[in-house]
Amino acid sequence: QYLEATRTELAVPVNDLLDRASQRSDKMHSLSTLLTQEMDSHFPPYGRMQMPRPADCHTSALQTPNDKEQALQVSESDLMSLARSLLQAWVDPLAVLSTSAITLPHPSKSSISSKIQELQEHSKSLGDGLDILSGKMGPSAQAISFLPYTGGTDLGQDRVTILNKFNFLLSCLRRDSHKIDSFLKVLRCRAAKLQPELC
Amino acid sequence: MKKVGEVVLLWLLILFIQNAAGEGYSPPGKPTNISCRSPEKETFTCWWKPGSDGGLPTTYALYYRKEGSQRVFECPDYKTAGKNSCFFSKNVTFVWVNYNITVVATNSRGRAFSDPVDIDVVYIVKPNPPEEVVVNVTEDKDWPFLQVSWKPPKMADTRSGWITLFYEVRLKLENKNKWEEVSAGQRKTLQIYSLRSGGTYEVQVRCKPDHGFWSEWSPSSRVKVPEYFPQERSMWILIVVFAAFILVIFIWMVYMNFHSVKRYLLPPVPGPKIKGIDKQLLKSGKSEDIFSSLVVSDFPPTTSNYEDFLVQYLEVYVPEERELIMDEGKDLQDDSFKTENSTCDNDSGRGSCDSHTLLTDKGGGDKEDGQQSDQEGSQAEADTKSQEEALEEELLACSHENLQSSNISNEKEKVKSWPSLFSPLPQYSLSPVNRPNPPKTGQQHCLSDSLFTPNSMPSYFTQPGPSTRKGFRSNYWECSFDHKQSHPLHPQSAAHEHLQAQNDLNTAHVDYMGAPLDVHVLNVRPSEYVEVQRVSVEDGVLLHPISPSQEDSRTLSHQTEDYSRVRMVNNDNGLLLLQRDAIEEEKSMCPYQEDVVSRASITPTLQNSVTGINTALPILDEMAASGYIDTATMFGLPTH
Repeated sequence: QYLEATRTELAVPVNDLLDRASQRSDKMHSLSTLLTQEMDSHFPPYGRMQMPRPADCHTSALQTPNDKEQALQVSESDLMSLARSLLQAWVDPLAVLSTSAITLPHPSKSSISSKIQELQEHSKSLGDGLDILSGKMGPSAQAISFLPYTGGTDLGQDRVTILNKFNFLLSCLRRDSHKIDSFLKVLRCRAAKLQPELC
Repeated sequence: MKKVGEVVLLWLLILFIQNAAGEGYSPPGKPTNISCRSPEKETFTCWWKPGSDGGLPTTYALYYRKEGSQRVFECPDYKTAGKNSCFFSKNVTFVWVNYNITVVATNSRGRAFSDPVDIDVVYIVKPNPPEEVVVNVTEDKDWPFLQVSWKPPKMADTRSGWITLFYEVRLKLENKNKWEEVSAGQRKTLQIYSLRSGGTYEVQVRCKPDHGFWSEWSPSSRVKVPEYFPQERSMWILIVVFAAFILVIFIWMVYMNFHSVKRYLLPPVPGPKIKGIDKQLLKSGKSEDIFSSLVVSDFPPTTSNYEDFLVQYLEVYVPEERELIMDEGKDLQDDSFKTENSTCDNDSGRGSCDSHTLLTDKGGGDKEDGQQSDQEGSQAEADTKSQEEALEEELLACSHENLQSSNISNEKEKVKSWPSLFSPLPQYSLSPVNRPNPPKTGQQHCLSDSLFTPNSMPSYFTQPGPSTRKGFRSNYWECSFDHKQSHPLHPQSAAHEHLQAQNDLNTAHVDYMGAPLDVHVLNVRPSEYVEVQRVSVEDGVLLHPISPSQEDSRTLSHQTEDYSRVRMVNNDNGLLLLQRDAIEEEKSMCPYQEDVVSRASITPTLQNSVTGINTALPILDEMAASGYIDTATMFGLPTH
């Protein structure tokens, strides 16, 4: 509702900002998907955990919609808040991943490392854009849930542990980046009254 | 006994039957290839590939667990999606949740478990193909194009932004096999141009979510393109116009540069020129005159009258500006003289005149240089130069208003004023100064040397006999200047005039004398060759300009031939003329190409000239009373 009020006044800029933000989140998710695929290409399956437990992600505490009906019922401000919270929650883990990628016992570690760096850049610029957007949407949009990363800077001692942890973090990142992307795209279509052809 | 046998038989039968019944039966094989897809991120379906059934009816069951929970659920719907499938409805479908799915095959013999599969619904989205694909051909007859439009699959909720779809269109001609694919982004319409006239196209559309799989292609929509022409025709018109434009420009450029192009393609061939042939004469068409000049009738000279050889030709430089002053007869020289000199005093010979035609350095340096240069270069003129010098001096004398025409003594003094020029130096050539200007003249000069042999000259030159020479009171110039003394010249005046008429140059200017090379360079005077027409009694020499052409003063070396050089100036009266052969070497210096020709023609006269010079010497002694151009009484070598 708040967004609607602002939408009429600042419809064009918000819409454009949302469009650009969703494009950046789209790019982030694509990068994380490539990363998991690259990890799996050389990772011996037997050494891998049977199932990465996304429920153990450090962001699992954040309540997010699980289906479309739930998602469409969330307000714009909440959607924005969720997106920003998730984005913020990954700043530290991305740094840990970046440093670990350099010494990762993996043949594609240089490619992985560069992708992670790119992720960090996108995350930074997306965060700045969302800060601006949330400023236009009101205080509830600017609220961020604090989701600390407690995994520490060290991923492990032995190769299997390190790789497992790395994989696990990447899977969590893949999902959370998809969530951010989905929320922003829903927001984009909600604000796109002037450009209905995109939605 | 019988009972035991029956029991054994029965027992065997039962065993046999049991065996037969268990044969080929086995537990089912493991189901494989579990794949799940969600068309709209709200439901999903999983399919598996059953293994062997072991010969027995086998049932399949799909069980799943959701992440974070150990509770096992079974597939709620095995039918909707067909055989060996499991359909998850909206109620049981959750996004951003991992499903662990296992399929179990069961038959009476046993079970088989498939490998578990983890899926997240958001990663397995494969939408249905786009619907309501409409293809239209626009009504534009000249430029028809296809208008394709479609709708997203029904179940995909793109309105709310839950799903973001990208579309792709492909088309091909009906009878071809190659598809052309065009991306349409998130739009739902597309225009296709560049159609083949009269062709029939098949059009298909498909879509893909932002993070998912491509849908299947929609069913083909056929459309026929009407026939059309103007498009191609206008293109040809454009091409023709453009080509014509370029052609016009090209022709214009060739036209502008026609001469340079022509010169490049057909370089001008230097035409041969023969020395001694007067172009004007050629044009006049008098072949007799032309060829007569070529003929050396007296060669070898039959007469021992060496006096004939005394006719020598002196080159006289005339300033450029005087060229035009081609009056008949004497006036010409007068004008030339007058205009030329500026600050000559009465008794000044050439050397003392401040004329620019004179040596720039009136000191001996130039003269010496001139002499030296003469030695090197085209000093052929020297032969006649002595005569010419005398002539020139005479001319100078004439040019000076207060010049005393008959002042041969002055001439003598004048000569003395150029000691370096005339006296001690053995070789004295005047030629450097008298460089004929243009090659033409030079050639003519050179050639004229050969041409104007003493014998051949008579028509043009008077060959003064000794008596007449002496009777020649003053040289020609003097007479002309003062309008006096023209009488002695009368006999030859006609010849002179004739000669003069041929001259383009004003012969009066005698500055050429001994001018050093650089002076020569300064003076772009055409040099004229004068023939000693007559030797006056008082050591005067009548000089006639011989050559009609002007020579570039810069061209030093050309008239080397036939010039007699002033060898030395006797105390009294003479200039010792160098023999021609001495100058021969300089013949090669003749700059003009044609000189070669002329040289060849001149050589025969060398011998003559030599003799002529020898004979001339005594005469010189006689004549060079004033030391001036009296030496022009030199005879001899017909240079020009």
